[in-house]
Amino acid sequence: MRIRPFEYHTAETIKEALTILEKYGTEIKVIAGGTDLLLAMKQKKILPHHLLNLLEINDLDYINDEPSEIRIGALAKHSYIASHPIIRNEATVLAEATGMIGSWQIRNVATIGGNLCNASPAADSAPPLLALNAKIVIADSKNEKNLPISSFFTGPGTTLLEPDQLLKEIIIPKTKSRRKANAYLKLTRRRGVDLALVGVAFHGELDESGEKLKNVAIAMGGVAPTPIRALEAEAELTDLSYEKAIKKIPIAAKAAVAATQPITDIRATAEYRKDIVDVYVRRTATKVLNILFNKDG
Amino acid sequence: MKIPLTITVNGERYDLEIKPNRTLLDLLREDLGLTGTKKGCGLGECGSCTVLLDGEPVKSCLILALQANGKEVLTIEGLGKGKPDPLQIAFVEKGAVQCGFCTPGMIMTAKALLNKNPQPNDLEIKEAIAGNLCRCTGYNKIVEAIKSCAASTKR
Ligand SMILES: Cc1cc2nc3c(=O)[nH]c(=O)nc-3n(C[C@H](O)[C@H](O)[C@H](O)COP(=O)(O)OP(=O)(O)OC[C@H]3O[C@@H](n4cnc5c(N)ncnc54)[C@H](O)[C@@H]3O)c2cc1C
Ligand code: FES
Ligand code: FES
Repeated sequence: MRIRPFEYHTAETIKEALTILEKYGTEIKVIAGGTDLLLAMKQKKILPHHLLNLLEINDLDYINDEPSEIRIGALAKHSYIASHPIIRNEATVLAEATGMIGSWQIRNVATIGGNLCNASPAADSAPPLLALNAKIVIADSKNEKNLPISSFFTGPGTTLLEPDQLLKEIIIPKTKSRRKANAYLKLTRRRGVDLALVGVAFHGELDESGEKLKNVAIAMGGVAPTPIRALEAEAELTDLSYEKAIKKIPIAAKAAVAATQPITDIRATAEYRKDIVDVYVRRTATKVLNILFNKDG
Repeated sequence: MKIPLTITVNGERYDLEIKPNRTLLDLLREDLGLTGTKKGCGLGECGSCTVLLDGEPVKSCLILALQANGKEVLTIEGLGKGKPDPLQIAFVEKGAVQCGFCTPGMIMTAKALLNKNPQPNDLEIKEAIAGNLCRCTGYNKIVEAIKSCAASTKR
């Protein structure tokens, strides 16, 4: 499978990149790791006349630990994120999810920015970031804006981004809770290297007294046109003690299933996807509750 | 329009001019004649095109040659320069090669693993080579071969 000819551009700064984007508008696509884009170009699904390589932009692959937030540059690769101590400690669910993307070779080139901008409903980095209330920074040649990631995805393969805009960085707020825990589970057709059929991220925290659950967040991929939160399911578990929450998990799982609108496709039926959401919400919730309340799971 | 590209392959520096739509795999196999690296699916799935880019295993069919500008590439030919690498010997001795199509990619991934983690356990080996498909061996002998090199590098 050949790639159709195109004109190649490269930039060393964001500013330079944004100027090039502004000039070529809809004629140009940006390429980061290329693991989604080159595939689409080989399959002739996307045929850009111009390509702008982002990989030579200096210093956009950082993970910065700041007092109240963690900042991840759009070009950070999954292998770097998954093994980074700050992410493993502060955003375990994201380390887990990025560590499950593709194979080692894919994680060494594929970027978190590419994963989000490609906007697959099953993109593995999306549910963890939704559950952690992450923000994204979008830049164009005039200014930068900061948005909740929940507003970023607009449908399968589409986002808020205009052709002359770049995703610059992802911001994960740090919570002030004394104790928090989170987990990610994904179902694939094959073991190992595959896109998620369903992905579930579960996050929870302990309140001041250390006795009740708060800030429960459940996010799911592969079960709706975009990655989504399960707000009703979260409410079912909020403010409960360990014993009450554990009993309530099956009800929360049902509420999470109710929030999905999965499709039947070649990879799985809608019914199967719903069943898996039910199972995975129960499993991730149990795991997180056991960690939070120091129980042996 | 061709674009200049500077790339080091197996220790040798090349200053080339190349069309932007060529992948790193096209460059290696067709322009440099290094056909040890195999082209299987061309879609990032099978791992037969695995090479090391600045020491990290990558799938060369899904990277533009120009995106490797200024970088160092190691292919199976560079690994076996002069005398075979211990991994190559182990693959032969343990019967980890049947048709051999997956072998160069498999060995490059294994090499990167052993560079990072000289004493990997079975699970770590299996996770590392999860992106390298083999239709022939059933993987057991491949894991064995990699493991035998881990042991033989022990001091
Ligand atoms: C074999 C294989 C297995 C895979 N397995 C998984 C998996 O398990 N889970 C998963 O989620 N994904 C998987 N993927 C998909 C892909 O690897 C990821 O989505 C990856 O993170 C994409 O990143 P990239 O840097 O390669 O993106 P690219 O292909 O470079 O870009 C993807 C899209 O985003 C745009 N883009 C990239 N960066 C920016 C930016 N900063 N600003 C604006 N637009 C941008 C590009 O124009 C393009 O449209 C797999 C792919 C392959 C080939
Ligand atoms: S040829 Fe590159 S992964 Fe199959
Ligand atoms: S030996 Fe034939 S594919 Fe692995």
